[in-house]
Amino acid sequence: MKIFTCIKYVPDTSEAEVKLDSEGTGVDSSRFSFDINDADNYAVEESVLIKEKHDGDVTVVSIGPKNSDVMIRMAMAKGCDRAIRIEDERIAAHDPLMVAKVLAGAIKDQEFDLVFTGCMAEDYGQAATGVALAELLGVSHAAYVKKVEIEDGKVKAHRELEGGLREVVEISLPAVLTIQTGINEPRYAPIRGIRQAQKKELKVMNLDDLGIPEGEVNAEASRIVLEKLYIPVVESKAEIIEGEPEEKAEKLASILVKGGLV
Amino acid sequence: MGNVLVLAEHRQGELRDISIEMLALAPSVAEALGGEVMVLLLGSEVGPMAEKIAGHGVKVLVVDDPLFADYNSDKYQKVLSALIDDYKPKLVMMGQTAQGVDLAPALAVEKGLPFVPDIIGLEVEGGVIKATRQLYSGKVNAQVALKEADTGLVTVREAAFEAPDPSTAGAVEKIDSPLKEDLDYRKFVEYIEAEIGDVDITQSEILVGIGRGLKEDKNLPVAEALAEVIKADLCGSRAACDAGWLPDDRQVGTSGKTVQPKLYICMGISGAFQHIAGIKGAKTIVAINKDPNAPIFAEADYAIIDDLHKIVPQLTEKLKELKG
Amino acid sequence: MMRGMKMTTENQTFAEKFDLLGCIQCGRCTGGCPVTVRTNLNVRRFVYDAYDEGLLEELARVTDIWDCTACHTCAVRCPKGLKPLEVLIGLRSLVVESGKTQPTVRDALESTFMEGNPWDKPRATRNDWMEGLDVRIAEPDQKVENLFFVCCTIAYDPRVQVTARNMVRLLKKAGVDYAFLGTDETCCGSEIFTLGEDGLFEMLIEDNTELLNEYRADRIVALSPHCFTTFNTHYPDLNKPVIHYTQLLAELLEQGKLVFEKGLHKKIVYHDPCYLGKQSGVFEEPRRVLQAIEGVELVEFNRNRERSLCCEGGGGKMWVESESKIERLAETRIKDAHALGADIVAAACPFCVLTLDDALKAEGFEEEMQVAEIMEILGELEEMQDNSSSAQEVED
Ligand SMILES: Cc1cc2nc3c(=O)[nH]c(=O)nc-3n(C[C@H](O)[C@H](O)[C@H](O)COP(=O)(O)OP(=O)(O)OC[C@H]3O[C@@H](n4cnc5c(N)ncnc54)[C@H](O)[C@@H]3O)c2cc1C
Ligand code: SF4
Ligand code: SF4
Repeated sequence: MKIFTCIKYVPDTSEAEVKLDSEGTGVDSSRFSFDINDADNYAVEESVLIKEKHDGDVTVVSIGPKNSDVMIRMAMAKGCDRAIRIEDERIAAHDPLMVAKVLAGAIKDQEFDLVFTGCMAEDYGQAATGVALAELLGVSHAAYVKKVEIEDGKVKAHRELEGGLREVVEISLPAVLTIQTGINEPRYAPIRGIRQAQKKELKVMNLDDLGIPEGEVNAEASRIVLEKLYIPVVESKAEIIEGEPEEKAEKLASILVKGGLV
Repeated sequence: MGNVLVLAEHRQGELRDISIEMLALAPSVAEALGGEVMVLLLGSEVGPMAEKIAGHGVKVLVVDDPLFADYNSDKYQKVLSALIDDYKPKLVMMGQTAQGVDLAPALAVEKGLPFVPDIIGLEVEGGVIKATRQLYSGKVNAQVALKEADTGLVTVREAAFEAPDPSTAGAVEKIDSPLKEDLDYRKFVEYIEAEIGDVDITQSEILVGIGRGLKEDKNLPVAEALAEVIKADLCGSRAACDAGWLPDDRQVGTSGKTVQPKLYICMGISGAFQHIAGIKGAKTIVAINKDPNAPIFAEADYAIIDDLHKIVPQLTEKLKELKG
Repeated sequence: MMRGMKMTTENQTFAEKFDLLGCIQCGRCTGGCPVTVRTNLNVRRFVYDAYDEGLLEELARVTDIWDCTACHTCAVRCPKGLKPLEVLIGLRSLVVESGKTQPTVRDALESTFMEGNPWDKPRATRNDWMEGLDVRIAEPDQKVENLFFVCCTIAYDPRVQVTARNMVRLLKKAGVDYAFLGTDETCCGSEIFTLGEDGLFEMLIEDNTELLNEYRADRIVALSPHCFTTFNTHYPDLNKPVIHYTQLLAELLEQGKLVFEKGLHKKIVYHDPCYLGKQSGVFEEPRRVLQAIEGVELVEFNRNRERSLCCEGGGGKMWVESESKIERLAETRIKDAHALGADIVAAACPFCVLTLDDALKAEGFEEEMQVAEIMEILGELEEMQDNSSSAQEVED
């Protein structure tokens, strides 16, 4: 079983205040911590579980800066065998289709049975890269996968639908699965393991190494334009609901219902 | 002509809300593009559904064929691809749903379409289609323009738009299926319903959190009644789990679970750092606490400073009324 | 340092590493272990069973090993000088090395590796507690007498940040030559060690030693007893002494640099943190500080000093919950304090403050009693002064 697992290094913005950088086209990430994208972490674990069960090997593919090597080493400490990190400023990173093209460029000429991606990246939240990648590789796919069962050349993927419902689909290998969080319990990568993983191969490549013409994946090639970023105006943090108890209850109930929260 | 093609979504015989929600957006875009809205419905014996959609004053194209009884990405993609060639819509819209994310990116690649996923706003400015989407879980908005193309594709976030009320009757037009035989790359096997009684709070959409402020286990029904009305699961602070009001696997926080519900309503929880750490993934937080200085209020989106016993039972009643 | 404390080499057997052959099975360790009243942990039994290498994996699966709070009572009591708790930590290491830790432990360890603190907070925000205060930040080439090491919990947990904030105010007032580390300050590894992540602990020791040795400071002052004890027992290559802040305060009092002009008419009971008392022998300085406040009536727990009852905050217990529903030790402690009629339970450790404060609420004593860090009490005195007189010394 030859597996490729695509992972991304993302900032944790859950608690932090997000500010735009001076150009207004990116965010100021100086106060964020960075880590593997949550769903990708589950994808790594799932690929290692499958490797352990069915034999095989796992190649990690990531597009990102040198800083992200630590995340890649962690994935290798957990059991992934080698890694390719693609670093190239020319890639239109805001467009999932361009990102998918680069990933496809790294994978397509190699033998593979399964490709895993996280189902969505926490930073851009597009949930599109994995499925686009499948199309580019010309193989079947399933998105939002919550359980994987492999049997004679086929995979049964349990897809998470809305409201707790799951859809089970059967596809033949090779295939791309986009992994949903909660599919497993990601293991811890002990520091000794991370040190040992220094011995595993981590290839750093750019578009030229991959033989991908710049003009296929840069901002020109992208069919969308990221025109501007802005911080949405949000009402001051907590809206305090005032009045007599009954009024308060009534106001809250209507906020919840009208806001589509319940 | 700049028509907008909207893909309707249904499952297990039910039209999904997103199908109508998109109609809050599609007509104005179609108008700006100088075209009309066409809704595509793929399914088997979906006549009544087609009528329902048409009741919103739009034209519905129906492919009624047993091959489309259940959603299948391969078959949907084939049909959409063929219909884009036939109808040349300026824009295709579908939901950013478990179905849409499984379909749209592949379609965009196949047809080379400008594609923006998960949009929360859409405008046409000087003939250019511009979408608004969120980055960093809503902390930053982005305006993304689709470059000039015969057809563009967007997926629309669920519940981002209020479904319009039915208006005039539109037309339902049956069309031939561009798909003549079944495809078998991907087979639908079955649906599995969520197991009942086996609650995993890390996966809950709505959570009601209780803390020490609930005081005694005989007060538990106060929270349970609210949870029942809004279909929430119960969770709690360590104090609540320690007290045995809830099983340990319902504890939220550093030594419990990290949860990410769309809505978290907590009562009688002070908001200790160890608890807060577990709810940072919650989208909307409502806090009910009688202490105006409780740190939970720094995290909350909506705050009620009062005795939970005065508020929660009434809240439950009001919600019951409003939800009918 | 002490036996069994030095870093072991990979090829030592478990029995050699922890000197298991030295054990005479007297049972004093289990006899003194405070958590036996609420969990099944029998540390003597583990010392015995771990001798059989074949049993180790099985022992590592017993959840009891996570009940140990690393209070060190067993080590203090062992007549053979063993550190029975380290056998439990050794077993935890087997779990950690396998990668199959509880998610809460995994997250704390990963955060420490990536961001230098176990609280899943960005390194960049480590000094946010300083907001609104004018704090002197250390520069490697500038000489300073007292270099402060804050502690991850004090830096990030709003409940105990007051410890550091009040310290800054006090230092300025007393005219002490001080500096704090910047955001480079990295977890001391106290809890990383007790959670069994040896590799990460070694890395922290190396990194911190290198960082701290760079500064031209006379000594390091740790705000948390956990950092204090960890530096003193596990950092052989540190080039400067490390003291706890209560020692500095006692010194300032003696030199007359610190005077509390205002009094506090309260009955205070001091809780000896395990890491300050039992493990490092600092018993009197905190008491001296409290006694220096006019009006304070200092009372003692029956179990005080070496016999102080553990609050269950250490040993990585911030991330691992015991299954037991029996009263927490912190609750016992609070009840004892209540029985003594104390107004304030004073502690000098962030973990003690958190666990005791929680227990106070569980017992419903919020109205009658208060749990406070010593720095919190001193800060209140300060505020009283600020309010009562207009002509206070000018801050620098
Ligand atoms: C090692 C360790 C690990 C921990 N891990 C976790 C963890 O994983 N998860 C966790 O939650 N905690 C954890 N804690 C505990 C945490 O520090 C807090 O003590 C705990 O979260 C407090 O729970 P609470 O908010 O329910 O109770 P309290 O802090 O006691 O708060 C009760 C609140 O209820 C309010 N209240 C009281 N009566 C009413 C009323 N009638 N109406 C409205 N409001 C009312 C009060 O104003 C108060 O704010 C941990 C602590 C330690 C020391
Ligand atoms: S360190 Fe304390 S809790 Fe742990 S075994 Fe020893 S006595 Fe028991
Ligand atoms: S106290 Fe020391 S000698 Fe006695 S049983 Fe425990 S470990 Fe063995």
